[in-house]
Amino acid sequence: MKKYNIIQLLIVAVLLMPSMLMAQDVDKNNLVLTLKYFNDNNKSHHLLVQAKSKIDGKFQQIADMPVRFYIGLEPMVENLLGKGVTNDKGEALLVIPPQAQAEWLKSPIQNFIVLSDGNAKFEEGRGDLTITKAKLKIDTVEGKIITASIIALIDTVWTPVASVDFVVGVKRLGGLLNVNETQTYTSDSTGMISAEYKRDSLPGDQKGNLVLVASVIDNELYGNLTTEIEVPWGSKSVYTTNFDHRTLFARRGHSPIWLEMLAYTIVLAVWSVIIYLVFQINKIKKLGIE
Amino acid sequence: MEKIAENKIIEDLMPQQFGKKGMIWVISLLVVCVFGFYAYCRQLYYGLEVTALRDYVSWGIYISNFVFFVAISLVGSLITAVLRLTNVHWSTPLTRIAEIIAVSAIAFASLIIIVDMGRPDRFYNLFIHGRLQSPIIWDVIVISTYLVISLLLLYFPLLPDLKIMIQYKERNGKWLQKLYVFLGSFWKDKPAQFKITTKAIHILSITIIPVAFAIHTVTSWLFATTYRPGWDSTNFGAYFISGAFLVGAGSVLIAMYIFRTQYKLEKYITSEHFNKMGKVVVLLALIYLYFNINEFLVPAFKMKKSEEEHLMGLFTGEFSYIFWFAISASMFLPILILVFKKGRTPKWAFVAGILVVVGSWFKRYLIVTPTLLHPFLPMHDVPKNYMHYFPSWEEWAIAGGSLAGALLVITFFARIFPIIPIHETITETDTHEKV
Amino acid sequence: MKPNENSRREFLAATLLAGAALAGCRTNPFTPDEVTDIKPSGKMVKLLSVDGDIIEVDEAFLKPVPELPVVTNSEARVGIPGKKFAMVIDLSRCKSVKKCQTACNHMHHIHPGQNWIKIYPMQDSEKTAPYWQPTTCMHCDEPPCVKVCPVDATFKRKDGIVLIDSDRCVGCRFCMAACPYSSRVFNWEEPKIEKEIAAQPYSCETSVPQKIGTVGKCDFCPDMIRQGSLPHCVSACPNGVFFFGDILEDSVTNGSETFRFSELIKDKAGYRLMEDLGTKPSVYYLPPVNRNFPFEKEEKNA
Repeated sequence: MKKYNIIQLLIVAVLLMPSMLMAQDVDKNNLVLTLKYFNDNNKSHHLLVQAKSKIDGKFQQIADMPVRFYIGLEPMVENLLGKGVTNDKGEALLVIPPQAQAEWLKSPIQNFIVLSDGNAKFEEGRGDLTITKAKLKIDTVEGKIITASIIALIDTVWTPVASVDFVVGVKRLGGLLNVNETQTYTSDSTGMISAEYKRDSLPGDQKGNLVLVASVIDNELYGNLTTEIEVPWGSKSVYTTNFDHRTLFARRGHSPIWLEMLAYTIVLAVWSVIIYLVFQINKIKKLGIE
Repeated sequence: MEKIAENKIIEDLMPQQFGKKGMIWVISLLVVCVFGFYAYCRQLYYGLEVTALRDYVSWGIYISNFVFFVAISLVGSLITAVLRLTNVHWSTPLTRIAEIIAVSAIAFASLIIIVDMGRPDRFYNLFIHGRLQSPIIWDVIVISTYLVISLLLLYFPLLPDLKIMIQYKERNGKWLQKLYVFLGSFWKDKPAQFKITTKAIHILSITIIPVAFAIHTVTSWLFATTYRPGWDSTNFGAYFISGAFLVGAGSVLIAMYIFRTQYKLEKYITSEHFNKMGKVVVLLALIYLYFNINEFLVPAFKMKKSEEEHLMGLFTGEFSYIFWFAISASMFLPILILVFKKGRTPKWAFVAGILVVVGSWFKRYLIVTPTLLHPFLPMHDVPKNYMHYFPSWEEWAIAGGSLAGALLVITFFARIFPIIPIHETITETDTHEKV
Repeated sequence: MKPNENSRREFLAATLLAGAALAGCRTNPFTPDEVTDIKPSGKMVKLLSVDGDIIEVDEAFLKPVPELPVVTNSEARVGIPGKKFAMVIDLSRCKSVKKCQTACNHMHHIHPGQNWIKIYPMQDSEKTAPYWQPTTCMHCDEPPCVKVCPVDATFKRKDGIVLIDSDRCVGCRFCMAACPYSSRVFNWEEPKIEKEIAAQPYSCETSVPQKIGTVGKCDFCPDMIRQGSLPHCVSACPNGVFFFGDILEDSVTNGSETFRFSELIKDKAGYRLMEDLGTKPSVYYLPPVNRNFPFEKEEKNA
């Protein structure tokens, strides 16, 4: 009996060996953290980190990865802004909180750091970002011309910046619809761009208002900046729906009148005959008992 | 009909206890039922996974069995109502057979539709969330209506017979006697009572015809309201109804033969009945053939791309064996047998009846399955086993169990109630005598 | 009288709610006139402004919205007000990379082997060109599946989306027979899902978790739209095959390119599948002309 057990153990051990070896062999994948800065309409601003890893030669988004955000040059506890966990797209986001105030006011150039301790499958990772504080402005002039400009904080002075790429468009679900054929605009020495609005009778909201957006996307110095303005340049959108109509594909209680009439008439007719006959059975019963 | 004494009629037609053969028959049906129930328990536990149904063929033999049951149930209206209204008296002994076939078939039709549901536990949703736009709701309404009408049509003519049977207290035993008393103790053979039942049966005979047409038409619409090749047909209602009358009449032939031989009813279900029913079946088979020609020749003439695969699959492809078997068994062969006087003997008529019923069952299979294997967009991006369909053993067991269950209901009915109306037979003999 | 009343009521509702539902994609959370559109959550959040001031904002006006309130079943049955969604699939760009399918299967926790998005190798006749045709649910304006549903388990919403309530579905599979696009799948067995996901309450808008004995299909990801994102297939496609948008805005986007819907359909001769059936799909196709790559029958990514 004892011998048998030893043999059993040996077999189990031999069977387990490859997997044990494998477990030791497993190399943790490296973790790439990309940090981005977003200025939303010159009011609030947020950080976004994208966690990726190169697996089998392809970059993959890494979900469920805990990350920590810091402001400043070193990831010290007093500089911690907040924590997050990446979502299914491998992204985590942090709206810049009040505790960043002191550090934020110190300098026109800011550093942000994102750190991750990694997990069983991934090594630890770090992402760094340096941005210069900047603001966007958007306005319109006569003749449906959109103007936008960028100013950056240089030393203590807000100065217009040249050679920054802009996109300008009408805000639509999930994207920006460009206002003419031009895809991007580059700012001149006054930090300005201008774009002519050429969309004919594009539907706006019920009043015909459109939201115009000017954005700087993934700029090396300034990050991502967005600003918008509402203009009455669209056509009034007309919303019609047959949701409450009586149709064959409407919900319960919204079937076409002809169907209801037909169905209820038939059901009523047939069942009144049935009920009549049931009463007749009762009548037969009474006759029998008399 | 030769003159038979009233006592003799009662003696002959009273329900009899099961003999040895009867016991074997009942037990084997019970075994099939229990096996089917076991298979259904598995299905309840594991889900519809145990069937061979998959995303493309999402309806299989449960639904074809359902259509088959609904079809067979139409016979009640044919024999009882149509022949009654047209003053055809030879069919009187067959009315109760037809009516009980109808009742048990329609009851099992509703059961099998619950079996087919993915969530039978939510059956009540049909009542609390029912949408009038859906043909399924129409089906729920007409099937329940038809069941009630069929039960009434079974009950009214039974009343005088109940009185006769209550007189045989000794023979009946305690339980049956209680049942008879409960159902018909108030029947006193009063003329006023007869007046009411005669009128009621007349009203029912009229009412049941449109309702019967409705159940099978609505059943055909479960298919015809979709776009699929093979189902998208304006002919479908008529095609289904004609087929239903045929299979119902075929099943009556079988039942007639079995009751006649097993219960020694040769004097009541005579060869003349087989002769006449045989003719009826020929007529019905011809009508059904006519609708089949419409159903297949017209699309085959055009050969629309979407229909082509489906039709060729039936004519020469993977379903051709079943297709030509079903067509010959349900139409050609029965016509060939029954069109000749020599073929309208009880034995041959019985054979023809079996051919009709078996052929019709496979015909229902062909209506449901091949269409689903030919969707508009080619079958793609699914596991290999999704592209074929052959019923799993659970499906066969459940379908078989439901058929056995229906037969069991008929068998027990014949054990409890006279399968040939005693009272009507007596009056028929009397009027015959007077004439 | 009644239809008039209805349309008036709808008009009012649409006015009040225009844009409100898509709070998530508002970049400007502070302009007063917009604040009236959005329902405040009552929960205030402190944050640092770009100018370095500490400000207090209602959580609902924050971009992106941290957590959207759970949509109730009755809200999910009505849909996002003032919207009408459509998809454009550019066949000239599809080479069956199947990223859309993978993303969709992953995000909706679809049972292994089944797919809501199918990518068909199509060849209409012997001498015509082969091409890949991805299909989602067509979200028909006159959906044959909804017509036949006996219990309102599948329904058409105001925003054009056709959804399934898996807590209601009785599993009759009539909708599967009725759909000419074969876009519906059935959960034949207990769906293989992680325990935590399976334990969640079912939501019509996420279609998660799938339940045994019920039907599932592409849902146009209304949960993503509410957050201001695009459906998973759209953002997953590396070739930008899928365009999604609101027809009332007359625009569709694949995330990187945005087109005016009416112009795109006109310029590229867009069409819908099986127009003759009268189902009026919400999914448009652009013909497979001027393709960037040859049609390769080998399904490398299968």
